[in-house]
Amino acid sequence: MNARWNLVLLPSLLVCAILIVASQYVFIRTSFYHDLGMGRTGTELTLTNYIRFFSDSFYLKVLVLTVRVSGWATLLTLLLAFPVAYLIARMHSRFAMWLLAGIVVATFVTIVIKVYGIMIIFAADGWLNRFLMWSGVTDRPYSVFGTEVGVVMGLMHFTLGFGVLLLYSVVHTIPRSFEDAAQIHGATRWRVHWRVVLPLSLPGLTVGALMIFNMCMGAFTSAALLGGGRLFTLPVLVQRVVMMEVQYSMGGALAGVLLVVTLVINLVSIMLLRKLRAARFVVA
Amino acid sequence: MNIANTILEEARRGSRARMPRRSLLPVGALVHLGWCSLSYIFLLSPLVVVIGASLNGGGEYASMSFPPQDVTIANYLDIPQRRFESLGLSLALAASAALIGCLIGVPAALGLVRGNLPGKMLMAAVFRAPLQIPAVVTGIAFLQLYYIIGDATGLKMYGSFSGLLVGHAFIAIPYVVGSVTAILQRFDNRLEEAALSLGASRWRTFRRVTLPSIMPGVYAGALYGFMVSFADVPVSIFLSSPHTRTYPVELFFDLEHDFSPTILASATVVIAICLILLMVMQKLVGLETLLRSGKGGR
Repeated sequence: MNARWNLVLLPSLLVCAILIVASQYVFIRTSFYHDLGMGRTGTELTLTNYIRFFSDSFYLKVLVLTVRVSGWATLLTLLLAFPVAYLIARMHSRFAMWLLAGIVVATFVTIVIKVYGIMIIFAADGWLNRFLMWSGVTDRPYSVFGTEVGVVMGLMHFTLGFGVLLLYSVVHTIPRSFEDAAQIHGATRWRVHWRVVLPLSLPGLTVGALMIFNMCMGAFTSAALLGGGRLFTLPVLVQRVVMMEVQYSMGGALAGVLLVVTLVINLVSIMLLRKLRAARFVVA
Repeated sequence: MNIANTILEEARRGSRARMPRRSLLPVGALVHLGWCSLSYIFLLSPLVVVIGASLNGGGEYASMSFPPQDVTIANYLDIPQRRFESLGLSLALAASAALIGCLIGVPAALGLVRGNLPGKMLMAAVFRAPLQIPAVVTGIAFLQLYYIIGDATGLKMYGSFSGLLVGHAFIAIPYVVGSVTAILQRFDNRLEEAALSLGASRWRTFRRVTLPSIMPGVYAGALYGFMVSFADVPVSIFLSSPHTRTYPVELFFDLEHDFSPTILASATVVIAICLILLMVMQKLVGLETLLRSGKGGR
């Protein structure tokens, strides 16, 4: 019986493994050559691109910025998404379907369109800025372009819908009876959340957080449009170097650093979760 | 067990006859609701604003204001033909990517849950890898792979539909594997045993018992696959040529180079298409059951 299922698995495994290995191998190998300009690369293996990356403070700053905005966006996305996911998952009325529909539509629509929306909202003579100036919060129009706040906001628009959908299925795996049990015995709502819901959803929360973080690390659109040509994240730089400067090997090196940093952060987080689990800090 | 402890602890306290405090004003619930409305306003306001502004009349400058003045549908009539072409391309691409994602992902999930090959953790990691590789990296990796394939065999993958499709299917597969795996792990094997013992063939059992029960997972995975493909910029921007631009990439370049009010109208068309797709989904399978069976805490 099992052998049959193994046979079913093999073709898919082969396709995926080939796609991953072939594509990653090609660009990582290219990153170890030298750019000759016009998209051609040298023939000798060299570390030039990586040395350039780690000796130039510009690139290092870009890397730090990328990790920082992704981290902020992940944290804020979780903070906004979890209460919504919890609300929808615990709701009994037909209204829950409408709430869910709003989330799905927002996830469907490409981030480019949402960035248009942000541009209109933060237009210098838009109603938001007029309100801010009228109420005296600022004395000149507030602009999100070229600021970290703008980039984080763009990333959140990219991930928030996904975040809610992910956490929705996480909350759904927590039996409601656990909460009821704690509450019947006198725990306050706050205590139920803190001691029952949170520990139970922590594994799912970690997986969700990592997925959102990975999305941010690879996101290019919001940072490209809202960075306003002043603020570069690593994905934006990869696209510029490859498509505009046609330096495939330098682009490959930038992408390689991005890949390794992302994978290391993923691994460390998963190991931390294992540690917590071993220390019985987290159940499940 | 922390949770059991908490419950016991509370039970002990409860025995001292302390009832849960209930204030007249449900402050917690109000804060929760307020917080959720904030999330919704944040998430949906750009879409509302775009729809509103797309109805603006009166030239290029006025087009960026909301609420609209001089309501008109002129912007819709001026949408250039090429944008509809790229919209068609994007829809076909997303549907194909979701389909291929299912063709590869469903057998993968079945094998992962029911097979007994050694190294399952590693195999699961292979199927999950596209989620961990940043999207831009996937884009540049496939671009360079296509160049190499082109040099070696003369096959032109770069800028072709098939080239885009391979990249998009690559990022759609993990979603299908995830959601189908989640549902298979909860599957009651006795259902299959019952069918077999009643004389159904293996294939018939699979088709009539197993497949229908994992279908919600398949739909959920396909929906996610469709969504990531239909909204994707970072992968497509590397793989599409000026003749095969996906819709988001087309809008991205329009926004970067020359802004015109027709962009807002085109964006509204996409929002409308998404709404229609959503309603079809709701009618076909029901949104709630669909997303409930999605990838859970794994």
